[in-house]
Amino acid sequence: MRKLIPLAIILITIFALAYYITPKITPQTQVRPLGEFYLENSYFGDYSAKSPEVVTSILWDYRGVDTLFETSVFFLAIIGSLTLFRLNKKQEKEAKQKTEEFSGGLTLVIKSVTKIIVAMILAVSASIALHGHLTPGGGFQGGSALAVAPLLIIAAYSKYALEESGLDKTRALILRSIGLLGIALVALVPLLNDGFIMQNQPVFPAELGGQLVGGSLIYYNFFEFLAVGAGFTAVFLLLAIPESVFKKFLRRVENE
Amino acid sequence: MNEILFYIGAIMIVIGGICDLFGALGLLKFPNFYIRLHAATVGTIGGAVVPLFGVGFLALGSDFLPNKYAIAGASFVTGVIVLLAAPAGAHALAYAAHKAKLVTWEPKVDHLAEVREND
Repeated sequence: MRKLIPLAIILITIFALAYYITPKITPQTQVRPLGEFYLENSYFGDYSAKSPEVVTSILWDYRGVDTLFETSVFFLAIIGSLTLFRLNKKQEKEAKQKTEEFSGGLTLVIKSVTKIIVAMILAVSASIALHGHLTPGGGFQGGSALAVAPLLIIAAYSKYALEESGLDKTRALILRSIGLLGIALVALVPLLNDGFIMQNQPVFPAELGGQLVGGSLIYYNFFEFLAVGAGFTAVFLLLAIPESVFKKFLRRVENE
Repeated sequence: MNEILFYIGAIMIVIGGICDLFGALGLLKFPNFYIRLHAATVGTIGGAVVPLFGVGFLALGSDFLPNKYAIAGASFVTGVIVLLAAPAGAHALAYAAHKAKLVTWEPKVDHLAEVREND
């Protein structure tokens, strides 16, 4: 009974809001001048960002610096978590050794399904990121979808399988740095051409072989895709270190 | 032809709703983890894959929908993916629970344990 009282209060509040307050807010019937500007200019107009997707145009061109700082906040978070779990070179090598109780991952059924699903995830995430200038989605969303693939491999096979096939933490960090560097370089290119930072300048081709590529937007999306996917992969690899191994490291540090 | 597809799709969606209801009931009422996992899989296969295919048939059979082939294709592909992933996920959960010996149960037959002991 006591549990029902908060529930009833919440329900009553929601219904009261819906019935009494919502009709009093006058709905917006016209597009505001700012919205109209973006809708008209994002693809046609004089200030074109070469993309029919207005959200992507705003994200990576009109309000590009905002997105740049958002990206840097995300990377500070990744760097912060990597610092929390930092290991020296000897410990890193030891973390790559298989533990005794490791029995080779999950069963054959799961491994085969994982192979198919991982291939699908790679294709879908690349499509989300590289069509970012045409459809909803973009670099960050594509990168987050990409990061699911190594996570699935870690769950079904093990982190050792990922490391043996060449994607260890250092490689992931290098990929992430390439992505970040790419974003920074593409952002600086318009300055050489008398433009503003992160402006979509005609230096970047808007069409390649008859396909709309949206000038610099596709480069931003691709590098963000790479950086986000690799950043998440690095964190997942660290989190996949077995607890017993990590506790061993901690105990050794305490003893010294 | 279109009408038949439409009705098959609608019936499959209704079957999906019933399967979801039974899956939810079983998830709440069944005695231990493995049997509850069976109820959850009834919920995902019967309650997600079947209605997804149903939506595909329904979209194919309706003349009034714009982009009906896109809707049908997307729902068929999603259905196949769920059809692949859901049994593997349930299998992984059951395998992990059996390996960790976390569930208290009184099985009449436990083939996996017999195989383990023979190894």
